[in-house]
This record gives sequence, C-alpha cells and structure tokens, in this order.
Amino acid sequence: MAVAPLDEHELIKQLRAQNEAALGAFMAQYETRVFGLALRLTGNRQDAEEVLQDVFLTVFQKIDSFRGDSKLSSWLYRIATNAALMKLRKRPKVQQIPLEEELGPGMTEDGMIAEPVVDWSRLPNDELDRKELGQRIEQAMNLLPADYRSVVVLRDVEGLSAQEACEVLSLSEAALKSRLHRGRLFLRKQLADYAVSRTAPSSMTQQTGVNPGPQHA
Amino acid sequence: MLKCRDVGQLLYEYVEQRLEPPVSRQLEQHLADCPGCLAFINTYKQTMRLSSELRCRDIPPELQQKLRSFIKTKLAPHSPNLWDRFRSCFSTS
Repeated sequence: MAVAPLDEHELIKQLRAQNEAALGAFMAQYETRVFGLALRLTGNRQDAEEVLQDVFLTVFQKIDSFRGDSKLSSWLYRIATNAALMKLRKRPKVQQIPLEEELGPGMTEDGMIAEPVVDWSRLPNDELDRKELGQRIEQAMNLLPADYRSVVVLRDVEGLSAQEACEVLSLSEAALKSRLHRGRLFLRKQLADYAVSRTAPSSMTQQTGVNPGPQHA
Repeated sequence: MLKCRDVGQLLYEYVEQRLEPPVSRQLEQHLADCPGCLAFINTYKQTMRLSSELRCRDIPPELQQKLRSFIKTKLAPHSPNLWDRFRSCFSTS
C-alpha cells in the first residue's frame, strides 16, 4: 500500500480525470483492504459490501476535494472507517467494556500479581486449537464498542502504523494508546477465559508463588 | 526494582517498542523473575498476533464484479462504451 510520492501525485491526477485504467488499478489495489476493514468493523457481510461500494464511489466523486495533506491511503481508510462506523452506530449499543485495571491480573497492595496467570500462548495446538482461538477472537472483536474496535482493527488487524491510525481516526496518540491498550486487554481476557476453560489444569504450567490458589485467566 | 503493577503500566510502550532501553532492560529483568508477568505479556502479544490473522486476504470475485458494475452505473451513466471497455479491462474473473 506504500506509494511513492510522485506516483501518488500522478495517480491522483489520473483519478481526477477519471482515467479508466487508474480507477481500475486503484480498486484492484485497495478493494481487499477496504472490504476487510469494513467486514471487521461492521462484523456483517451485507454491511461490508455496501460500505465497499459507497467508499469507492465517494473517493472517485470527491477526489477533487482531496487536499493531499495526508497519504491518499489514509484518506481512503478514513472514508472507509467512517462509513463502516456509521453502519455500526445504527445498531443497538453494545455494553461498555471493563476498566483497564479490571482486565489485568489482581494485584496485592504492594503492587505484585496476586494470583497465577496462565500462559496459553505456549500451549501446543492439540491442546488449544488455533482455529478455535481465531473464531474466538473474531467473536470477541464484535463485542468491542466502536471506539475500541476501530483502533484495534486499524492497528492490529490491518497493520497501520500508530501515526496513520491516529490520522485516520483523528485521534491524539494518548487517546489511541488508551483505547488500543484497553481493547487488546479486553480481547486477551476473552481469549484467556476461553483458553482456561478449554485446557486441563495439568497443562497450566506458568504459575507464580508456592500457593496454588485460584487461577487468573 | 519494578513491581508487577509498573510492568502493567509499561506494557503498552514495551510491546510498541517505545521504552527507553534502560527501562526496557529493567522490565525484562522483572520478566525473567516473574512468571505471572511473563505469561501476561506473552498472552497479550499472542492476542495481537491472532488479531493480525483476522486480516482479510481475498475478496470474492463476484464482489469485485459487483463493485465495478456499481461504479460504472454511478460514475459515468452517459458513456457506456467507455465503461464497458473499462470493465472488460479490469474484470479479474
């Protein structure tokens, strides 16, 4: 998706002229990303299809108003993200996610972890199926409120840099950090609860302390 | 000496590789001695990996087709010949 500045300049010129080759090349380059982004943000195939079409139409119709103060791809992602979030916001609100402190392990008064933490990232595939984990995280993603889901999807699913994700969402770095971190913690907790429920106690090898108290996911 | 609570507060900057090297080293020293924090960081990173695997790799060909037809109708309703050529150029299926 990285386009050299001169190429991008030329591409924009050709898109403005509605050059057929440029329009086609632009769709070919970005349609999978836009569809994937929309699918992940809306969690719904029908909505994602509509977003896909609306986004490219908007881009081609409004390319004249693109001022070039961000990358063309950032502008495209911004249009796509907004279109997908519009769909999402029409639905009944999902529950708020817990506070950051509630998503991490319990702490003692002097700031040490109070209970064992299971390292399910190291369990072999036959004990914890990666495919199932994949489905699980997909479900968990759909539980995230829109503000959190958008940062996690842009940054961790689509792999945008922090700076680009900030640009796309018009967020400060501090806001991005706080939402992204809490979003990740929420997903981690969902996976951890699942992993712990699926694995036998004997396979939980990463423990703290000598006291085999209740395990924290 | 870092406490687990400090590790929790530095976790994000650590995985984003934005900690100053001395702080990063301190954190890693803590991890070497604290299976709980290590497990937490490992599973945090694993969550990020699993998220990245959700990225869509293909778009269904019929959807590509639909997109091109849609754009054709909406964008240039008065020049069908041009757009027929356009579509035939870029249909991938």
